Amino acid sequence: MSSGKKMWSAALLATAVLAVTAACGSGGDGGGETADGKIKLRFSYWGSDARQKMTEEAIKKFEAKNPTIDVEGEFSDWASYYETLSTKVAGSDAPDVMSLEIRGLREYAERGTLADLASKVNTADVDAKVLTTGAIDGKQFAIPTGVNAFSLLVNKSLVEQAKAELPDDKQWTWDDYIALSNKVTSGSGGKITGTQLSWNPAYLQIYATQKGEQFYAGNKLGLTPETIKEWWSIMQNLIKGKGAPDAAKSSEIGATSIDQSLLGTNTGAMGMWWSNQLGAAAKASGSELDLLRMPKIKGATSGGMFLQPAMFYSASSKSEHAAEAAKFIDYMINDPEAGAIILSDRGLPASSKVLAAVKDKLPDADKKTLAFLDEAKGELTDPPAAPPKGASAMEDILTRYSEEVMFGRMTPDDAAQKFITEANASIAG
Amino acid sequence: MTEVSVASGPAGGGHRSTQRSRREARAAYLFLAPWFVGLLVITIGPIFASLYLSFTDYSLLEEAKWVGLDNYTKMFTEDPRFLNSLQVTTIYVIVSVPLQLAFALALALVLDRGLRGLPIYRSIFYLPSLLGGSVAIAILWRKVFGADGLVNAVLSVFGIQGTGWVGHPDYALGTLILLHVWTFGAPMIIFLAGLRQIPSSYYEAAAVDGAGALRQFRSITLPLLTPIIFFNLVLELIKSFQSFTQAFIVSGGRGGPADSTLFYTLYLYLQGFKNYDMGYAAAMAWVLLLIIAGLTGVNFLASKYWVFYGDTK
Repeated sequence: MSSGKKMWSAALLATAVLAVTAACGSGGDGGGETADGKIKLRFSYWGSDARQKMTEEAIKKFEAKNPTIDVEGEFSDWASYYETLSTKVAGSDAPDVMSLEIRGLREYAERGTLADLASKVNTADVDAKVLTTGAIDGKQFAIPTGVNAFSLLVNKSLVEQAKAELPDDKQWTWDDYIALSNKVTSGSGGKITGTQLSWNPAYLQIYATQKGEQFYAGNKLGLTPETIKEWWSIMQNLIKGKGAPDAAKSSEIGATSIDQSLLGTNTGAMGMWWSNQLGAAAKASGSELDLLRMPKIKGATSGGMFLQPAMFYSASSKSEHAAEAAKFIDYMINDPEAGAIILSDRGLPASSKVLAAVKDKLPDADKKTLAFLDEAKGELTDPPAAPPKGASAMEDILTRYSEEVMFGRMTPDDAAQKFITEANASIAG
Repeated sequence: MTEVSVASGPAGGGHRSTQRSRREARAAYLFLAPWFVGLLVITIGPIFASLYLSFTDYSLLEEAKWVGLDNYTKMFTEDPRFLNSLQVTTIYVIVSVPLQLAFALALALVLDRGLRGLPIYRSIFYLPSLLGGSVAIAILWRKVFGADGLVNAVLSVFGIQGTGWVGHPDYALGTLILLHVWTFGAPMIIFLAGLRQIPSSYYEAAAVDGAGALRQFRSITLPLLTPIIFFNLVLELIKSFQSFTQAFIVSGGRGGPADSTLFYTLYLYLQGFKNYDMGYAAAMAWVLLLIIAGLTGVNFLASKYWVFYGDTK
């Protein structure tokens, strides 16, 4: 009967269709060379649409200069970046060039995922101290793209509206900061809140440095319970004096992005962020924002602020095109043409030559950051080394115990002890 | 009935038809082959891989190292967050599933009265079920139950000053339970179908005997509806144990404030992708499977005592 034959051919067709679709899915992955004999280089990074456009533009310029290399950008948003990247690495499908940030660096470097880039990428124009943050056990696993400083952002006009006065940030203490915040809230009749709370480990790190302690001492926390408790008392006093929103609202806005922050919505006068967020916060609020030095403990010799790479470029240790990967990284770090496209999108350029070349083209917010960092340069402490493996979870751990304390569900003593125990367990492995 | 059709198949024809049926069977298998391959490669393979990984220390970035039962023992002896996540999820399931089913049944009873425009109401009530698990609704929930959200705006009209509900460890889980109850549409539709199955003659007979509405509900509706209740219960229990999106979005991906919304699956995800401990995450997944399988088993055993199948006797 012919119906049997028909059935056979239909089944064959179905199988063929499936085979073709499967082939499409994995198409173009053949060994890292494209059909026209070019070397294919994969480059993964995260960020906004604006960053993707800039990066694609820089890649095009690179390809024009290196006609034998075809760079393929693998882009994702920040929230899913490490998920995607770790899955690719697990599947022996690591991109040749990867963007990493400092908390993830040791996770990858200490597991043999990254290649040593020393003497393969020209780093003569990168500040030596900043450069060493990308080195682990003497191997340069990562090259910093640019720098940031964790600092206090302020909306001066809101402070003035509340008839409060900004103190001199070279001198000011934590008590001044609390008093100012409380004054802004009361002076504005509660319409404007003084400051937003932050549980960023960088904030605690700055405070600890002022007390002469390290956040990380090797694979352990260098913090004492007293320091953590004193640090929490700043936030407790802010909540008590209404200089900051209550614990519930604080944890609610703490879980959102900077656009939804008090500063971003013009409902608060201060907040702490990495300096490259200044532009985003100013854009969200539509008003002028400035950077301030972090307050100090009375009599502290060091302000504790520090530069940290905004991001790193690193190369896969398994890459078949190590030389080309290094070449691409070198271009992204050192080429003024690339710098003129990327500007301060990955932090203020780490290469002093690139920075000098693009200085005047920077957006206003970044010019402000540059001026601020230049002025504060002498007061900064050395950039800290990359934190130990497991530090990716530090912000979550710190936030959790801070919330326990702010809601009064744990005593500061108890929480400080538990925080240290859990943090140590997380970074020991 | 089934026996008859099976017997008549091969016995009915001679040599030629056997050949033909064999050929048809081969064609059928060929048709099915792509899906069998898919099932094997995409589902069954990974399931066994995850069973293996649950006995290893696996960071995703390095080769997996065999550690025996370490992951499982660590869960129950050294990890208070694991026990907390189990507790949070259990509270969520125990409170939200019965509430949701009660709500769904109540509305189904109202709609069963034969309202005009029933299809419209049905669609409106069903809508949240389609949207409930989505990211957009979770974001909306944040806004509605936020410190400056809609709920507090309404409360302030009555002179009550509300707190930030999603940001408070005592209430955050409550907002998620509400979100779950709000998605009562799917079980409601099933209840509605079940109610339609009950012959109206039963009610007529009961009315003649003088049974009131409440008595009718207790003696006719409820017993005849037990298979449907059971079905919904099993389905919703399994589904709510696996809830993830709502907690992930409402808590900003952390399970906060202070771990009060740390769902089991959220903690599993954090262990696997944030702490680079995929072996532990795999072990957690298997424990969850055992929990759900165990509960469903208990559910089926218990059903003998309260579920009434009208056609069995």
